[in-house]
Amino acid sequence: MSLILDRRLFLTLASAGAGAVALSACGGPTTTTGSVATTAADIDFSGVKPAASIDFWSNHPGKSQDVEKSIIDKFHAKYPDIKVNLVTAGANYEEIAQKFQTAQAAKSGLPSLVVLSDVWWFRYYLNESIIPLDSLVEQLGVKLADFRASLVDDYKYAGKQWALPYGRSTPLFYYNRDHFAAAGLPDRAPKTWQEFAGWAPKLKAASGAQYAFMHPALAGYAGWTLQNNLWGEGGSWSKDWDITCDSAESVAALQAAQDSVYKDGWAGVSSKESADDFAAGLASATLSSTGSLIGILKSASFNVGVGFLPGGSKAETGVCPTGGAGLGIPSGVTKEEQLAAAMFLQFMTEPENTAAFSAATGYMPTRMSADMATVLAKTPQIKTAMDQLAVTHVQDNARVFLPGADQEMAKAAAKILTQQGDVQATMTELKATLERIYTKDVQPRLKA
Amino acid sequence: MTQQLADQQARIQAVPASGTHAPASRKRWSGRARRDFFIFLALALPNLLLIAVFTYLPLINNIYYSTLDWTLGSATATVVGLENYITFFTSADAVKVLGTTAAFTAVTVGGSMALGLLVALALNSKVRGTTFARSAVFAPYVLSGVGVGLVWLFIFDPGYGVLAWILRGLGQQSPQWVNDPQLSLVMVIVVYVWKNLGYCAVVFLAGLQSLPQDVMEAASLDGASSFRRFLSMAMPLLSPTTFFLLITTMLSSLQAFDLIRIMTPLGNGTSTLIYEAYLQAFGAYNRAGYSAAISVVLFAILLIITVVQLRFVERKVHYS
Repeated sequence: MSLILDRRLFLTLASAGAGAVALSACGGPTTTTGSVATTAADIDFSGVKPAASIDFWSNHPGKSQDVEKSIIDKFHAKYPDIKVNLVTAGANYEEIAQKFQTAQAAKSGLPSLVVLSDVWWFRYYLNESIIPLDSLVEQLGVKLADFRASLVDDYKYAGKQWALPYGRSTPLFYYNRDHFAAAGLPDRAPKTWQEFAGWAPKLKAASGAQYAFMHPALAGYAGWTLQNNLWGEGGSWSKDWDITCDSAESVAALQAAQDSVYKDGWAGVSSKESADDFAAGLASATLSSTGSLIGILKSASFNVGVGFLPGGSKAETGVCPTGGAGLGIPSGVTKEEQLAAAMFLQFMTEPENTAAFSAATGYMPTRMSADMATVLAKTPQIKTAMDQLAVTHVQDNARVFLPGADQEMAKAAAKILTQQGDVQATMTELKATLERIYTKDVQPRLKA
Repeated sequence: MTQQLADQQARIQAVPASGTHAPASRKRWSGRARRDFFIFLALALPNLLLIAVFTYLPLINNIYYSTLDWTLGSATATVVGLENYITFFTSADAVKVLGTTAAFTAVTVGGSMALGLLVALALNSKVRGTTFARSAVFAPYVLSGVGVGLVWLFIFDPGYGVLAWILRGLGQQSPQWVNDPQLSLVMVIVVYVWKNLGYCAVVFLAGLQSLPQDVMEAASLDGASSFRRFLSMAMPLLSPTTFFLLITTMLSSLQAFDLIRIMTPLGNGTSTLIYEAYLQAFGAYNRAGYSAAISVVLFAILLIITVVQLRFVERKVHYS
């Protein structure tokens, strides 16, 4: 049997083709002729009843699945009419963000509450994917004043609160106390990187470890921890929206990091997770999140010491960035779901629950009134993380607000720390990239 | 068959040169032809619909998205025409990504096929244990790419990996396989070839075992050496197999994703076209429109390669 392309068949096929093209334009986003600045919507929840069931998307930061389940069970006991479904939506912040963004694009399957990291929430704000929490905070009587100010303020923008802190962390300086003792060093973290550089040869000689220090894995969050090195030398990734990663101070800080690997040879660069390398005894010290604390204490077969992050030649204190994740409520779900999610969010961040979460993971308690006595008796190292909060520094805009900047910083760090690339040239190139991202992806969408 | 050809010729002749073909057409669609057509529709339509919905519609959608400045997750986008394509082809990334794609594809296709052929020749010999060896060689191909990637990451780990342990035993430091972009490409290529050479080996083995033994024996009696028999007889006769493998391995190499994603999540040095498209949309950047443009470029390349192979390379193939 054969078909002949006559006029009728041609017109049929042409119509089908035109229909397919027209259909293709039906999906996806609404198109506009210019860029759209983000606006914060005022939401009135008066008269709204909470939904009977909500989805909570988490990546279980700090291996927190069990403690999340136990908090949810307590919530169910208190609010039997609201069912919370805990959904594992990724293994890390990036995977959960990927799933959330995809659900946004598909306009279906959104959760009512989602874990969002320090580098993602602002994008959700720009995309209008999350709602401001102010009216819910007011209606439910959430005691914002009891939250640690530095943690809750991280989610304020354009005069509104966009998320509440959840698995919040800072980097910590982890060290092998046995190695330090063998090298005749004091049982404390170094005050500055210069001091550690003086200790490193002794450590390497006495410990038998491959490295005195292991730089965090670059594929992880190099842009996060390297802020410590930059700030200590008076540098930064950016000041407000000005990219400053190529300043003399920034270049000096990264040159010192490169020298620790190549010139002086006492530092290595982790391939996967520096906390694992440290716990396995490959290095005498490392930087890692407070969220790694419990895992390190469980897996290390030596005495683990923790301390504040070392400073530099320009600043000895105020050189530690905050980080970790918060919880936000998507804009694409019903008001009923948003209200139920807010009730659960409030419950999750109650003082006793934040203390339980902290005990299970090592993340910092987000509430000042959280009773940490039992937790600290069991894991006194958490006290160091809590004390360090007083000397934390707000992260550079370039790292947390520019889409993809963290990845570009990691690539630049890889060039410097693993290929011995020229620091100045690499930072000049990074600056151009970051400025391009700001000009194209962020500036047009900021409110004037 | 003859009757069908005659029917076909009759139909062609029935089509008039001018526009007076309607009665003839209606006549053609009566009777058996009409029934055949409905059977054809009943059998083909479900599959055609599935292909249209899950292949062609996304393809058309993707072409449309490639003309937008769209941030994934945003409800709005701006029509920018060909700007995404211009941005890609005028950026340094294009050279890097296309170069990485070409290097990855060339080495993995060449490596898998060359090593696969060598393994097939070894497996084709009449020695004990070839059945077990055949299974062992093919096993990596059916393993999950994610699992393979994770295991090999441990092997390559410069701290506590097996390779680092061996190198330390030889007094050498392990290279930074993951962090160094050039080495990370080498690492992924090695693992990809290891995983896929079994497929090539099994297909080549089937080809070798179907070679006409009488011809090979005749050549042997004429005094041709085993190398000469392989080069002048086996290889030309294997050309349909080689051609089939060339197409399938090249297409799968160009679409390799799982190993790259697991072993080098940043794509530092390993960003092939498909991985770059993934990173741009679903990685840190969320540039859905730009990613769609890269996907269209990949589609065009795949299309061109397939057409060129079918039109030109196949002419060199000996089917008997």
